Amino acid sequence: MANVNLKINGKAHSFDVEDRTLLVNLIRDHAQLTGTHVGCDTSQCGACTIHMNGVAVKSCTVLAGQADGADITTIEGLAKNGKLHPVQQAFTECHALQCGFCTPGMIMAVAGFLKDNPKPTDDEIYHGLEGNLCRCTGYINIVKAVKQASKAMSK
Amino acid sequence: MHTFSYVKAKSVKEAGDLLAQHVDAKLLSGGMTLIPTMKARLAQSSHVIDIAGLSELAGIEVKDGKLSIGAATKHVDVSRSAVVKKAIPALAYLAGLIGDPQVRNRGTIGGSLANNDPAADYPSAALALNATIVTNKREIEADDYFQGLFQTALDAGEMIVKVVFPVPAKAAYEKFPHPASGYAMAGAFVAQNGKDVRVAITGAGPGVFRWKEAEAALGKKLAAASVEGLNVDASNMNEDMHGTKEYRANLAKVMTKRAVAKLGGK
Amino acid sequence: MDTHEHHQLFNVGGAKVSRFEDIRLITGAGKYASDWNQPNQLHACFLRADRAHARIVSLNLDAAKRAKSVVSIYTGEDAQAAGYLRAPSFLPATGKGGKKPNVPQRPCLAIGKVCFVGDPVAMVVAESHLAAQDACELIEVVYEDLPAVVDPEEALKPGAPQLHDDVPGNCPMEAESGNEAATMQAIANAAHVVKLTVDCTRVTASPMEPRAALIEYKSETDSYVVHTPSQGVNMTRKQFGIYTQLPEEKFRVEIQDIGGGFGQRSTVYPEYVSMMIAAKALNRPIKWVSTRTESFLTDTHGRGNLITCTLALDNDARFTALRVDWITDQGAYLSPTGPAGHIRNATSCLNGVYKIPALYADFKVVLTNTGWVAAYRGAGRPDIAYAIERVVDAAAMELKMDPADLRRRNYVPLTEYPYKSATGNTIEIADLPGLSAKALNLADWSGFAVRKAASAKKGKLRGIGMSTVIEPTGAGQYPRDEIDISVDGASGDIIVHTVSQSQGQGHVTSFAMVVGNALGIPAERVKIIQGDPERAPKMVGNHSGGSRTMVGAGTVCHIAANKLIDAGKSLAAEDLGVEPSQVNYCKGEFSSPHSKKKITLAQLASSKKLAVTGEGTFTSTYPNGCHIAEVEVDPDTGVTDIVSYMSVDDCGHVVSHTIVEGQMHGAVLQGYGQVFGEHIVYDKDSGQMITGSFMDYVMPRAGQLPDIHMEEYTIYSKLGPLGIKGMGESGCTASLPALVAAVTNAIGVKHLDMPLTPSKVWKTLQANKA
Repeated sequence: MANVNLKINGKAHSFDVEDRTLLVNLIRDHAQLTGTHVGCDTSQCGACTIHMNGVAVKSCTVLAGQADGADITTIEGLAKNGKLHPVQQAFTECHALQCGFCTPGMIMAVAGFLKDNPKPTDDEIYHGLEGNLCRCTGYINIVKAVKQASKAMSK
Repeated sequence: MHTFSYVKAKSVKEAGDLLAQHVDAKLLSGGMTLIPTMKARLAQSSHVIDIAGLSELAGIEVKDGKLSIGAATKHVDVSRSAVVKKAIPALAYLAGLIGDPQVRNRGTIGGSLANNDPAADYPSAALALNATIVTNKREIEADDYFQGLFQTALDAGEMIVKVVFPVPAKAAYEKFPHPASGYAMAGAFVAQNGKDVRVAITGAGPGVFRWKEAEAALGKKLAAASVEGLNVDASNMNEDMHGTKEYRANLAKVMTKRAVAKLGGK
Repeated sequence: MDTHEHHQLFNVGGAKVSRFEDIRLITGAGKYASDWNQPNQLHACFLRADRAHARIVSLNLDAAKRAKSVVSIYTGEDAQAAGYLRAPSFLPATGKGGKKPNVPQRPCLAIGKVCFVGDPVAMVVAESHLAAQDACELIEVVYEDLPAVVDPEEALKPGAPQLHDDVPGNCPMEAESGNEAATMQAIANAAHVVKLTVDCTRVTASPMEPRAALIEYKSETDSYVVHTPSQGVNMTRKQFGIYTQLPEEKFRVEIQDIGGGFGQRSTVYPEYVSMMIAAKALNRPIKWVSTRTESFLTDTHGRGNLITCTLALDNDARFTALRVDWITDQGAYLSPTGPAGHIRNATSCLNGVYKIPALYADFKVVLTNTGWVAAYRGAGRPDIAYAIERVVDAAAMELKMDPADLRRRNYVPLTEYPYKSATGNTIEIADLPGLSAKALNLADWSGFAVRKAASAKKGKLRGIGMSTVIEPTGAGQYPRDEIDISVDGASGDIIVHTVSQSQGQGHVTSFAMVVGNALGIPAERVKIIQGDPERAPKMVGNHSGGSRTMVGAGTVCHIAANKLIDAGKSLAAEDLGVEPSQVNYCKGEFSSPHSKKKITLAQLASSKKLAVTGEGTFTSTYPNGCHIAEVEVDPDTGVTDIVSYMSVDDCGHVVSHTIVEGQMHGAVLQGYGQVFGEHIVYDKDSGQMITGSFMDYVMPRAGQLPDIHMEEYTIYSKLGPLGIKGMGESGCTASLPALVAAVTNAIGVKHLDMPLTPSKVWKTLQANKA
């Protein structure tokens, strides 16, 4: 068993979990934050994307033990003081989600890459979305939402 | 996943000792290949030894015309490093094409080279740039290091500490990504030092290889046209539903030509 | 509609949203199947066949039973004992020649033999998911391998391996439509006959939410509570009832968010029924979450149709007959929505958008040692449109005609609608001459040669392709669609109940817009409740599938709202002291010229019960459209780039442009996916699936279709009061033929089967050179 101490959305947690526990299972099953989703087994879909120490990672491909001491932000922790994050706001305004299953991971991935590249070109947006699959939107409105969020964040 | 014990190593020495003690132990750096493999229950390890945080495996520097990158350096850090961009911009470019942003935020150069996936990007750079793989035991030349499909010169208990790249006059990388996985269907890394040109192809065959005919032709004249009449031997290429042997051989050539064109050799 | 028009935004608690469901979904508060948990729940894991066709000689469960945390293990013996032996399958009662179909048994756990890789053999139930997985590996199965067949044409041949004793020749049924004699006569007399076989490839819907279920047993009532992704709770209850032979009342279905459906969530799968056995035996809730690989192997696949079209033309290039020979690969078993939808939808539109006097189709339903097949976004509609549009393009090429000209010559003219096709189907209305002219003009079809020359200068091969398509949407399986509507006495909000179930289509928003519009109040005040577990079983209505929900339930929202106004007038008359006929209603308020009083909906409902049920029965509406794609092919790599994509569609009245655009984006990209990479492939020798993960199955990604220029060409349907035609699937239907036409045009070949991978395109170009 591994003892994992970490912060999730600003709150300190301590869990005793099997060594083989994945971070995503710790988040979903132990911390009971089910906004982070699992859509595949091969690290392709990105539905499980969270921020670990401020960086977007796929929580299905991180062992819980690797996150010991980490500061984790999940989709539940992105809005601050009841105010949506600009990426969340842009996703609804641009109709960048339909079924919503990929959406938390998609939003976390976008919030991650906009930190590094606040004003991406179209090609940079496509490149930035390579780690996330969506089956509903055809991505067209997701790309629009990224541009809108980028604009809103640079104000 | 099968059960295993997770151990965070405190030093390279400790990691090496653990590897020596447990024959079924595996090193975990970024985990971008190991964890999915374990999830698919394709790998069983008694111990998973986490070396990602070791300071001995960190750092990027240029000294005496050589770029040295610590084994646990993440792809994202190589792709953004001002030092790498100045010394070997093609290497930073390559690192920025690996996987996807989330993968680049975790995956490491040492992990990629130790795994030696036949479609990984880094092996082509290491081979074309004539890199030296520095381990906890010795130094291995790239030409000796890569030994085909997931095979390397690393012994049991041996781990990569850093990779040292001689800085070339010019280098370029061109990649044709696999439409599903994002790995290379074919990637060509071309490095040039005067008349010495090295061309390494990844993705197309069962392991990274040097395309020596192209090297000879490009050594005479560094121009895409020099490669035009040459062909990669299709019989040695991989084949699957995404591409025939002939197609992959073609891609290897097209990517080489495009890399050469990027070097300024039209 | 222009793609770039400003989207309508609603105000919810100070936040601007384009849909009411969004706030929940963008903040991580959605509740999908795997998010349901119950105290004391156990976890199931399925041991699946690792081979395509084999007898189960023996199963040794001893080691697995002894493993840590394992509670129980179930096998085919338990399926037999429970009698859960036949998955539902809704087939026509009779096929060709009046023959009854032969439906194979599909027990919830394999009994005696396995028929495809992934067939569930045993179910381990343990205290944790990992423990159940560990124990699965300890089960020892001895198989006796049988020869397998994964190719439907091979499966039909004499001497082919037989999957089921009760399905001779691996052919559960044959069906036909139209007039064979008249069609063959016309073909014999034709000036030109063009024949083309196309493979409308097997793909998988791959909604991003993997399949999952939580099944609870209620001993006090001997009944079950089910949480699983579903396209409609009543359809799910019905299928559970058929599979288990228990009354539907024994099933309570509680669901909230569904992570995509596309037809794949319209099946009650054997895993769920197996879990019922354990839930009852152990009297504990059982949870199961599928891996993505299990999804690839065992979720219903889509399409998988090999279609041969024989098109007859006269000397003026007018179509005189079309014969369609259709082989539909259904995999190892028949799914609920399997071949029936394909046969029905193809028959409805066997003439495409063209005037063809003689039509005939022969359908052969085939079983192979592969995963089962069901409806996938369009369910036969994209397949028949693809086949017809490809043979029309082939005819244009053979006759050296402009494909637009050939089509124009053959469209059913507007004046001939309602048009009764030679299969006896009546199509309400469409104006393809007008609609396609608009599309051709917008796409500058006639100026293509200039653009092609410009591409050639860059070393690129440019191609253009069009499709003109139509499809049936709206007719349902239930006798009517009902909507319950009431005014909440406390809040004054409008409460609407429906049995339809959005899987991402945004019905909570579009229905609220319809009701809000009918009542003259903001949509924000209308609360849509889908599939309420108490209410829904008492209502009649269809699940969401077949592009029918706005046509059906959406239209009934309008009918119900108007009925609510009438009921309100009667009640308000008392308060206003006038006759009901003297009451006026406007924007949430009742008044009368004969009274000084006014009363709002909310005031009325605070003292009186204001609730009605609206209903409607709908036949098919016929959305139609013209899509034009322009591509550039890189001859060095065979890579195709989409240069432009134009769509002009008639889907009748549009309630929400935002949602309609989103549906079109998604459907066209799913079409793109099938055209350029998606393909479920089995190894011919071993029967193993080659494409069992996202590492091999090519999902489309951001940037591959940068934008769609969408325009409307609206003709309201008169079949419902709102004039709506369904449109959730038309993007798939139109994009397959348009994109393939563009690529084949670029590389100068008559036809190339999907997927048009760079490798295949490059190889074709090499062959052309040689």
